[in-house]
Amino acid sequence: MTSTEIQELILEIIQDIDDEADFSDLDPDQPLRDQLDLDSMDFLDIVMELRKRHKLQIPEEDYPRLATLNSCVSYLTPLLHDA
Amino acid sequence: MKTPLLVIGGGLSGIAAAIRAARFIPDVLLLEKHHRLGGLNSYFYRHGLLFETGLHAITNYAEPRDKKAPLNRLLRQLKLPRDTFNFLPQRQSEILFHGCASLLFSNDFNLFQEEIKRQFPASADNFAALVAFLDGFDPFVIRPFRSTRQFLVERLREPLLQEMLLCPLLYYGSSHSNDIDLSQFAIMFRAIYQEGMFRPGGNIKEFLDTLRNHYLSLGGSLRTGCGVARIVCSGERVERVILADGEELECDYLLSTIGYHETLRLLAESTAAPPAALAGPRLGFIENIYLLKTPPTAPPLSDKTIIFYNKGDTFSYQRPDQPVDFHSGVICLPGNFAQLPPRLHQEIRSTHLASYPLWRQLADDPAAYLAEKQSSSLRSLVELESVLGPFRETILYENNFTPVTIERYTGKLEGAIYGNPAKIKDGDIGYRNLFLAGTDQGFLGIVGAMLSGVSIVNSQILPNL
Ligand SMILES: Cc1cc2nc3c(=O)[nH]c(=O)nc-3n(C[C@H](O)[C@H](O)[C@H](O)COP(=O)(O)OP(=O)(O)OC[C@H]3O[C@@H](n4cnc5c(N)ncnc54)[C@H](O)[C@@H]3O)c2cc1C
Repeated sequence: MTSTEIQELILEIIQDIDDEADFSDLDPDQPLRDQLDLDSMDFLDIVMELRKRHKLQIPEEDYPRLATLNSCVSYLTPLLHDA
Repeated sequence: MKTPLLVIGGGLSGIAAAIRAARFIPDVLLLEKHHRLGGLNSYFYRHGLLFETGLHAITNYAEPRDKKAPLNRLLRQLKLPRDTFNFLPQRQSEILFHGCASLLFSNDFNLFQEEIKRQFPASADNFAALVAFLDGFDPFVIRPFRSTRQFLVERLREPLLQEMLLCPLLYYGSSHSNDIDLSQFAIMFRAIYQEGMFRPGGNIKEFLDTLRNHYLSLGGSLRTGCGVARIVCSGERVERVILADGEELECDYLLSTIGYHETLRLLAESTAAPPAALAGPRLGFIENIYLLKTPPTAPPLSDKTIIFYNKGDTFSYQRPDQPVDFHSGVICLPGNFAQLPPRLHQEIRSTHLASYPLWRQLADDPAAYLAEKQSSSLRSLVELESVLGPFRETILYENNFTPVTIERYTGKLEGAIYGNPAKIKDGDIGYRNLFLAGTDQGFLGIVGAMLSGVSIVNSQILPNL
């Protein structure tokens, strides 16, 4: 997957959690949580969707690396390079 | 085949847990010993009519736009769009201490604040400080039991106000005699006074059917009429369950929603964790239902949805030394929700504290048990009429159920709706792949039970798969 595809994947998963999520002003370097009103329960959904869709096992200690859109891309790129 | 996750109990906590898990795990299996789902919140038929067993009002009302509210977060976790349901807000409820004071509350917290200012002007500032404290308090951090009574004595000077604040919150959410854990108080204060109450537009059967169909559509499996008789372990690991008919099911994870001691009983022959200390007796309740002949178009007896009454200025919430304690009770008029389409008959319900041991004793003599049930229904009627005015002439059917009935139908020890007084908030009962959710985890009521199922799946099962 390319960086753009990974970005799209994450946004699609978030859209699925909250169909009213508004990405127009999203700053890719700021925490997704604060900008999109996600709580820790929603965050777990992102992890579980990645697991369901791409068989990715993300250990709990790595959750912070999914904090921003850009950190998601850098964390997931090596894991999804064959996807 | 080994099932990845078995859930024991098709009450609201088990259903919610199973839905949450089925979103991400294939082949989740929910086992319910009855033919119907719902547990304490189910339904039965009499005289060709559907009666709800345990639905007065659901707490935690929130407008659809309020995304952070517990109700909407819960629905999001279950992937149930809010507009799947037609939630109808309560009209207005009341805390009525006969001969002392009355406080009205609704889904607009301002009303309650104004009522307290008007009735307890000397405590207005203290009450505002209490609200500010609760707003900054995180009730989901796991802490040891802290007495709310003691806390309120320090915060609010007027004892009557303390008693009146506690009455609805204890009735709708305390497993402890005469007190409530401060975290649970904070949860219930928000759930009842700040957010308010509602009910689904249809009956509980339609609500449960929606949940069941959603669960099945996510690929989950359900077996009703399927009681678990034993849980078999090897050390701290559950290997399989044995059903009442002898069938064996292997599983990777097991979630039990039937109660702590109820689960230990199924583990009896395994090396079970030592039972948690019982912090006082379990609390029992009697529920009376009166169906009136008056047509739905007739004006209701009262415009209130729920009335929490108490006689005198001190509220006692404990196992009575008689079968039923009529000094206090909860009166529900299930017709008094906004925009509720008229039903065939008006209904009135009442709940009082009841003594399981005394009802258990009576049950040995069916005639005496029945007589006591009937006299309790009449006695409750006296209390209802003193609040609502006379209506006994219009009663079409009446029905009541005791702690013994509840024990028989749900397997809850002593028929205690709120279970063991002591709670196990993280759901960890000493096994590697067996966890507890529902009543004995500690979140109570309909929304509480569902949140309990979801949060234990989130914290103990999903991250470890
Ligand atoms: C009369 C009454 C009025 C109430 N009013 C309200 C109200 O107005 N608002 C509100 O929010 N809450 C109300 N409640 C409380 C609410 O119903 C409960 O808190 C909630 O439903 C508890 O859900 P649960 O899943 O934890 O437990 P339960 O509903 O007890 O579910 C446990 C399930 O496990 C099943 N089971 C037990 N043993 C086994 C076994 N060995 N194998 C398989 N299955 C088994 C039982 O049959 C049951 O279905 C009321 C309750 C009652 C009884």
